[in-house]
Formats: sequence, C-alpha cells, structure tokens
Amino acid sequence: MSQYDNNYYGSGGGGGYLQGGSPFSASGSPGGMRRSEASNSLRPFTISQLNKASQAHTDAEWRIEDVEIGQVTVVGQVVSIQKQATNCVYLVDDGTGRIEARHWVDSTNDDEGSKWGGIEERRYVRVTGGLKNFGKKRYINATHIRDVKDPHETYFHILEAIAVTLMIDRGHPANPSLASQSKAGQNTNLSAYSAQSNSTGLPDQFGHLPPIQRAIINFIISQPPQEEGIHVSAIAKAIGASGEGAHEISDALDKLMDDGHVFTTIDDSHFSVSL
Amino acid sequence: MYSDAADNKSDLSTRVNSARLVDYVGKHVRLACKALQVDGDRITVEASDGGQVTVLVLKNEPIESTFLEIIGRVIDPTTVQMLACMNMGSDLDMKLVNDTIELIHDPRFYTTMFC
Repeated sequence: MSQYDNNYYGSGGGGGYLQGGSPFSASGSPGGMRRSEASNSLRPFTISQLNKASQAHTDAEWRIEDVEIGQVTVVGQVVSIQKQATNCVYLVDDGTGRIEARHWVDSTNDDEGSKWGGIEERRYVRVTGGLKNFGKKRYINATHIRDVKDPHETYFHILEAIAVTLMIDRGHPANPSLASQSKAGQNTNLSAYSAQSNSTGLPDQFGHLPPIQRAIINFIISQPPQEEGIHVSAIAKAIGASGEGAHEISDALDKLMDDGHVFTTIDDSHFSVSL
Repeated sequence: MYSDAADNKSDLSTRVNSARLVDYVGKHVRLACKALQVDGDRITVEASDGGQVTVLVLKNEPIESTFLEIIGRVIDPTTVQMLACMNMGSDLDMKLVNDTIELIHDPRFYTTMFC
C-alpha cells in the first residue's frame, strides 16, 4: 500500500490531521501530477471555471489549472429549457458564465417526471454531473438537477468553490483543534480500545462511525503498512481482547466494507483501510 | 431571460455591492439587496454593504419579497436598470452576501473563477 508511505505516516507525528486523505489534498507538490482518483470525485465550480477547463484530446480527462477534475457541481439560474425527445437541455447562468446542462431522458422510468418536472426557468438550481464535449460545444451531462430552496445556497456554493480551489492550490489548512477533538472523542467513546489507539488520532472522515468500527479502522491504520493488509484474525484478536464477540467484529467489518471504508486485499481475510 | 443579454459581449453578470457599481457602469451585474421604498417605476434598495441604490423597475417583474437579487445594467454608480428580478425571501444574511462579494472581487480569485 504505497498510499501509506506518502500520506498517513508521512504527515509526521502530532495531530489527527491527514495529509492526502482526499483526492484534492496534495501530498506532494500541488498540481501538475496526474490524480486518477479525481475522476470519481465531486468538486464545486463556478461556470467560468468550467468554461476555462481544457482537454488534451476528446477522450482525455478535463483539467482546470492543470488539476484533473471528475464530477462537477454548479449552482446557477436556469435561463432556458429545451425539451427534446431523448434529452432535455437547461441553459444555466451563475453570473460568471453560462453552460448547458443536458439530461438524457429515461422513458422507462416513471419517477423521472416527478424528479425533473419541477425545474422552471429563472429558478436557481444545483446541477451535478460530468463535463462533456459535443462538437465544439461544452455541456454538463447532468445526473442530478434540483431546485435551490434557500438563497444562501448560492453564496455557500461560491464560498465552497473558492475554498476547494484554495485547498487544491495550497493543501489543507492545518487544523490544530482537530487533534484535541479526536483525542477527546477517543477518551469518551474508545476508552476500551485505547491500548491500540493510534497516537495520532483518527482521520476526521471516520469520526461518525460507531465505536467498534472506529476501533477496527484505528487498529488497521496503527499497524505497520503492509502490501497484503491486515489479517482478520489479527483484527479479531486486537478488538476481541476488549470483549467484543467474533460476530460483532464480523458484522462491523461487513458494514465497513459496504460503506467503502475498508477493502479486502490478497484474499477475503485480509483488510486494508481506504483513506 | 433578459432581453439585451445578446448585446453584452459576454454572459457576465457579476455579483456586486453598491461600492463596486462604479467599476461596472454600462455592464451587467447581480445586486443582492433589501427593498426599502417603492416609488412608481423606481425602487430604493439597500445593497449588501449598506449603500443605497436606485433601481429602475421593469414592468411585470415580480417584486414580492424583502430581499431581492436585481439583474441589471449599471447606468451610473447609484442607479441600475433592472433586467430581471429574483425574489430572495425574507431572510437573507447580508453580511454573508457582502463577504462573498468581497471574495469574488479579490484579485486572487476574480480572473480565474468569476469572469
């Protein structure tokens, strides 16, 4: 697991802050390098940014300021709606530019009407989807469009787009409060497992998990990095020592796998954490 | 949606407060504001930075809420010709709006993200 070499352990000592946990946080030099995991990520943009995106060739990934982008989300006003037999085109304007959002109509699905029927001209909407090219024209292949109910969302989106752009540019901000938070969290929720708990604390992304699932994650990432991951018996031994039954551990592992937090490596008995 | 968008070269309608209007004379802007007084075909509004602006109203545009987003063309630094009006409800955090506008115009972000 080469990812451990350059992010988790590389972040060096104190704090629960994880360098390189998200597709956008730069563990090395920001920008310039290919980030294949970006293709599955969702990033907020202004339409002006999308209009500045470029592609090396028609099948290449989109890049903005030399950073690969995956799925995009924008908030803007619907200027016009063109309903066609196979698709519906919404022209969206967010004040920084305009872009078409194209939604392909699935005539076999009865839910479509209620899901997409509520979009009207002039309304603010949030559009989520992938950036596509058709001839010379650029559009968002919309997987989701919904009304913006609260006008603050428009401003939230602008601020979020700025924040994400800054983070990609400079890496995540240091967060000194996180270390004390996750320490406190461990004391209350994880006291039974404190023997195994990692001194650097858990990454923020696992904070919402139930104690046993967190203990498993905690245990796996506290182990020395190995290509083959951690064997289930080692996990059972470590977690089971504090009184959890094999059944509970197995259920917790299944849940973690379903949620994508852990994955099996060389066989079904070896696990690693997806950071 | 608004009639003379085509003669404005680009599709820009930058978000502004009253202090920034001076840089956008002749251009399209989005002015988030609070309606103070309606007087025939003009309304007086308070922009997010607290400055007052006169808006020349377009007929048939619905002005129904306390807070509005006026899309318009700047005639002079205190007057905007409305092209469209969006109702923004009765509860809009104008400090948040103004902080956002100031960030939009921050040279670190303006050219790469907002025009």
